Amino acid sequence: MVDENTNAGGQPLEEALIKAREAQRRVTDGRWVRLFDHFKREWQIYAMLLPTIIWFVVFLYKPMYGLQIAFKDYSIFRGVADSPWIGWEHFQTLFANDQFIRAVRNTITISFYNLLFGFPAPIILALMFNEVMHATYKRTAQTIVYLPHFISSVIIAGIVITAFSPTAGIINTFIGWLGFDPVYFLTQPQWFRPIFVGTGIWQEAGFGSIVFLAAIAGVNPSLYESAVVDGANRWQMMWKITIPSILPTILIMLIIRIGNVMEVSFELVILLYQPSTYETADVVNTWIYRQGLQSGQYDLAAAAGLFNAVVAFVLVMTANTLSRRFSRTSLW
Amino acid sequence: MSGVNLSGIVKAYGALQVVHGIDLTVAEKEFVVLVGPSGCGKSTTLRMIAGLEEITDGDLTIHDRRVNRVAPKDRDVAMVFQNYALYPHLNVADNMAFGLRIRKMPKAEIKTTIADVAEILGLTPYLDRRPADLSGGQRQRVAMGRAIVRHPKVFLFDEPLSNLDAKLRTQMRAEIKRLHNRLGVTSVYVTHDQVEAMTLADRIVVMNDGRIEQVGTPMELFNNPANTFVAGFLGSPPMNQMKGMLTETGAKIGDAEIKINGAVAGHAGRDVIVGIRPEHVTLSDEGQSSALPISLDLVEPLGSEALLHARHGEDTLVFKADTNGDIAHLSGVGAVHVPSHLVKLFDAETGRALNLGT
Ligand SMILES: Nc1ncnc2c1ncn2[C@@H]1O[C@H](COP(=O)(O)OP(=O)(O)OP(=O)(O)O)[C@@H](O)[C@H]1O
Ligand SMILES: [Mg+2]
Repeated sequence: MVDENTNAGGQPLEEALIKAREAQRRVTDGRWVRLFDHFKREWQIYAMLLPTIIWFVVFLYKPMYGLQIAFKDYSIFRGVADSPWIGWEHFQTLFANDQFIRAVRNTITISFYNLLFGFPAPIILALMFNEVMHATYKRTAQTIVYLPHFISSVIIAGIVITAFSPTAGIINTFIGWLGFDPVYFLTQPQWFRPIFVGTGIWQEAGFGSIVFLAAIAGVNPSLYESAVVDGANRWQMMWKITIPSILPTILIMLIIRIGNVMEVSFELVILLYQPSTYETADVVNTWIYRQGLQSGQYDLAAAAGLFNAVVAFVLVMTANTLSRRFSRTSLW
Repeated sequence: MSGVNLSGIVKAYGALQVVHGIDLTVAEKEFVVLVGPSGCGKSTTLRMIAGLEEITDGDLTIHDRRVNRVAPKDRDVAMVFQNYALYPHLNVADNMAFGLRIRKMPKAEIKTTIADVAEILGLTPYLDRRPADLSGGQRQRVAMGRAIVRHPKVFLFDEPLSNLDAKLRTQMRAEIKRLHNRLGVTSVYVTHDQVEAMTLADRIVVMNDGRIEQVGTPMELFNNPANTFVAGFLGSPPMNQMKGMLTETGAKIGDAEIKINGAVAGHAGRDVIVGIRPEHVTLSDEGQSSALPISLDLVEPLGSEALLHARHGEDTLVFKADTNGDIAHLSGVGAVHVPSHLVKLFDAETGRALNLGT
């Protein structure tokens, strides 16, 4: 038996095994060496990436450490680490809180309208711009619709508040001409959502159309020429060529948008809402702001924020998977 | 009835005129190839026929109907584009059906038409595939299929094979030729590849700088180029052109003199350009020829033939010689023999072919 293990027949086998293992090890080594070489060769590119990475670490990853207070009875004096763990208590409090439930419902409703009206708006705008032949007119119109994006939300809100003002606002002046009484738009809950969603479209649709215009510009022009020879009119070309061609872009933008469903534009809500419209206007983020920063319940606010993030995460994952499955398009 | 007729066709972009008055008649069922160097206005001319570019001046008729102001869709032409212009989001069948659906052809009819054409082009197994999942040759075939299903009066091709590799190009070239023989549709085909032009065309139109240099059958153009441009454009390698001066019996090129058939007598002293096709020379005197001394630079074997790159005085020349399976005997070549009846003469100033009454 002993002889058999060390005989001439066994030796090559063992040797082969060792060699195979060695070979494997060398491949792993090779990979690290290659990675190192790659860094050495391309370090300039990684250096350019650095500010972004630092930004992410400082402002997004480092604060994650503080997320644990969502499960703690946090007190500023004890600090994050020393506050005692209390499990899911904050979440129970949250879901027993009518105001929070209302905020969640408002967030979803506003987001839904945003998606329904706000998402197609830049696409339609881009398609319309694409049909404009007159170059100067096109450029002027584009500049005008891009402008609101570059104005701070504070000023945007100021303009909206002024426009809808019951005394001097242009809208109510107009309503007055028609012989009706002024409407107190910004203090009535039923007007908040239309005004908010409309403002969002006015502010962002133009700028958002740039992405779609770029996608349209990328469509092979001979597709249109071929369609012209085939007899398609502009309407048919839009439906059968332009829209299908930019569909991947539309889907990507939709996935990103769905990921932001819980992130209703917080500043604009803060600027436009008032206690009389909380009923429809108060969203999770504004609720967090009031509970966390104004009432000092940091731990409860952190729990609400974490809830927001988890929902957003699940939504993005789902949207991405669905899109990949059905259209071969996905973010990653 | 003429298939396509262009008379005095001009194209200008603002002040820049790029096509300067083209006259051309394409007979019905004829296959005409527009050929010329890059930027000479071939595509522009084709696109004017298609209706994709406005015609600045002149008259265009298709089947004797003036179509200058007729929309592309009503001209009954189909165009095959260089980059295929397939709709990436549609499968092969839907790509081919696109034009038919736009024209509201009944569904059942669309289906049979596509099945027929797919069969002709060998695309039947691929009807469900998207263009991205096809090879270059298959995409090319789909592009042709899309044109064929429409049964147009005229096919227009803009360099349809230039995105294919050499082997596939040869194959598709033959396929286009077969299709044309089978369908017999008037075709205008643009290419800058002279081999494609020679092999496909019933007639070739050589263009240069927005003008037509010569129109004729491939062999007419090859045998009797109207000017030095055409002579230098067709044939591979192209015709050798050397400055010379006529004598009583031939032409003097540098310190050599070659005999030329025909009435050169009486023109002695005239400056000419002497044209000799690379394949017309022989290595030994076969009678009726004169020797042109050369200094050999390089021998490029091609298999049964070899290219001799050589010099005579200032001129760089290329000749073809049979290898007979070996190129050793070619390295010592010091002169080629030029058959006196195959020499071409062109005016030294205008570049036009000289016909001194042969
Ligand atoms: N939109 C335009 N504006 C101005 N000049 C143009 C325009 N389109 C084409 N040209 C010019 O017209 C001339 C002819 O162009 P064309 O595309 O017909 O060339 P071509 O013979 O097809 O060349 P190629 O073999 O490179 O395709 C070129 O000099 C080109 O620069
Ligand atoms: Mg071209």
